Amino acid sequence: MKQYRPSAEVDFVIIGSGAAGGIMAKELSTAGFSVVVLEQGGWGKFGREQEYNKDEWLQRNLSDDDRLMSNPQTQRNTFRKNDKEKAVAGNHSYGCVVGGGTVTYGSSSWRHLPYEFREASYDQTIPSGTGMADWPITYEELEPYYTKAEWEMGISGLRVNSPFVAPMSKDYPVPPMPLKSSGALMKTAASKLGLTVVPGPLAIISQPYMGRQACVNCGICSGYGCQVKARSSSAVTVLPVAVKTGRCEIRVKSYVREISVDSSGRATGVVYFDAQKREVRQKAKNVILSANGTESARLLLLSKSARFPDGLANSNGVVGKYVMFGNGASASALFEHPLNEYKGVISGAGIVDYVPSDPKRGFYGGGRMTARGYLTPLELGLNGLSPGSPRWGAAYKKALREEANHRMTITCFVTQLPLETNRVDLDPDVKDEWGLPAMRITSSAHPDDVKNMEFFRQKSIEVLEAAGAKKVWAPKVSESHGGAHNRGSCRMGNDPKTSVVDKFHKAHDVPNLFIVDGSNLVTGGRNHPTLTIQALAFRAAEHIIRDAKNGTHRNSA
Amino acid sequence: MSAKAKSRRAFLIQSAGTLNAAWIAAHYHDILAAQQYASKSEGGAPPKLAFFTAEQAAEIEAMADQIIPTDDTPGAREARCLYFIDRALTTFEKKRQPVYTQGLLDLQAKTKELFPNAGKFSALTSDQQIKVLTEIEKTPFFNLVRMHTVIGFFARPENGGNHDKVGWQLIGYDGSLNHKAPFGYYDAEYLKMSANRGGKI
Repeated sequence: MKQYRPSAEVDFVIIGSGAAGGIMAKELSTAGFSVVVLEQGGWGKFGREQEYNKDEWLQRNLSDDDRLMSNPQTQRNTFRKNDKEKAVAGNHSYGCVVGGGTVTYGSSSWRHLPYEFREASYDQTIPSGTGMADWPITYEELEPYYTKAEWEMGISGLRVNSPFVAPMSKDYPVPPMPLKSSGALMKTAASKLGLTVVPGPLAIISQPYMGRQACVNCGICSGYGCQVKARSSSAVTVLPVAVKTGRCEIRVKSYVREISVDSSGRATGVVYFDAQKREVRQKAKNVILSANGTESARLLLLSKSARFPDGLANSNGVVGKYVMFGNGASASALFEHPLNEYKGVISGAGIVDYVPSDPKRGFYGGGRMTARGYLTPLELGLNGLSPGSPRWGAAYKKALREEANHRMTITCFVTQLPLETNRVDLDPDVKDEWGLPAMRITSSAHPDDVKNMEFFRQKSIEVLEAAGAKKVWAPKVSESHGGAHNRGSCRMGNDPKTSVVDKFHKAHDVPNLFIVDGSNLVTGGRNHPTLTIQALAFRAAEHIIRDAKNGTHRNSA
Repeated sequence: MSAKAKSRRAFLIQSAGTLNAAWIAAHYHDILAAQQYASKSEGGAPPKLAFFTAEQAAEIEAMADQIIPTDDTPGAREARCLYFIDRALTTFEKKRQPVYTQGLLDLQAKTKELFPNAGKFSALTSDQQIKVLTEIEKTPFFNLVRMHTVIGFFARPENGGNHDKVGWQLIGYDGSLNHKAPFGYYDAEYLKMSANRGGKI
């Protein structure tokens, strides 16, 4: 791998190597630019993926070197519901390894629907006083990049013609993963209820593709690294291509604490802590910030200077605001025959009829219902039995035998209204392991979000009953306090007064700073953000490369 | 060492070989212990206990035996959960040792309180044991023993416990990492049905 001296100015430094950072690294390095990628996590099993463990006990007890997710014990964060509360220790955690969250995610790869880019104008059910806004781009503008993402990353799925699914200009590169029993039961229910089931598009390849082998349905999937490289993570797709150009260096265990600017307000590079917590200054002509929908905002707020006393790119005070984490609802059920959900991907089929908001429901909200249900042996044994089940003894053992493999769960991914009061900022008291102010999350769901979650909870029960369940239960709905689906804290927009980046991801305040990740999402869609992040990254890269080659960003390359 | 024991040992070494060097360094003793445990347990002789005295071990095994009892199918005893717990307490769960030490004393006290003429918990009848455990089922000690027993019953056998995969057999899990559709009853039925309709799904 190419190595750069930090004192030598590279064309681009990219902060983060996940869904967006990986794509930026590949696109920029293959276009001929010098690139340094700074990843706060470790290598994982980059290039030796067969070494990923499939042992759920080990996975619960990973050493710091083997962690794939951030550690709230060191990457500390705090949470409060509103400004009146004092924030307490939080458990916000996200993918933190070369490849970011794409190394371990469930791999759902839904496109946003055309109207999800202009809901503020189009959807009459949106209550007043929220931060809902139209995107500065349309679905039609992003569509070619969705296709590019599907083909470059390797997404399996079935192109369907439905008002509830985004139209596609091209098929998926590989067919959908096999139907699971949970999906078959969902179809049984859907045919009774008149609903539409489609195979979930997944970043998991069902056939050999671009030199990678097909998924072997091991079942130890979401939350684990993929031993056969069938999950189309940044780590096995775009990043190896970037490294191979000889122009891209990935530095792991690099914890960025500041994006530096000169007196004219241009970014000059970044300051980070290396694995030994030594400060390193990497000079760069341009900075790409792809640290995720919460950490990108935090880093901007940490990057205070005389010119930007309230944080970089934050002259309007919007950085960190409108953050969304992803609400959900679920219901589970037991069935007469074995489903064997422990085989195959975590989630296959989905019911899509309730994706749009509907004035008849009396609130704003929509979402997707996905079929799943696998509990690992430990999850089942420790606390996976249906409510009211005994915890030990002969009756416990009997319940284990009866419920194992006979269960399915419907997990719903639903809308969340962006609110100005929901935000990421810096905790005034708590510091992280590096001595920097910890991330503070302030978040409360809008009443419509709660109504919507309850709607999906009820729908899930209805579907499971229609599928012929013997026993159905559904946990109370609760709002999310953090997690990997974080979005929206550096929203894109045409108006520099109300958004952080323009429609090409350039910070309104800083001409050579580009923010490309889930933080740009103006609205949250139906809480399946990754493919949209990837499409945005391909689109952003194209514009950044074009401008850089034209000299707009003062590039020598 | 029997041929079976040799192959099991080879398997353990091989599985350790897929882990990275840092992990092996950090867990070297766990791995050695697992290997030692496995090779010794092949011959039928119980593995050596590292943390519990024989007396304590009998109490913990009796508890584990009530948590996942042996009936017409194997329970915690056959899964050798005791040995998983023992090894856990000398390795990655070292910091929990005091919970066990104190918990065993409390168990003894509770046994005496409910059955003044009894000696040890493990000497009680099964019904009496259940009575004692029901009294303490909300204590941190009981919950820890329950957690460790369940983990010892269901974790991959390479971690110790789940001897001969008896835990997985109970729940119909085969531990394989390679499966082909159809996976379960309902998807198989669905495929049959759609085949009857001429393959249209």
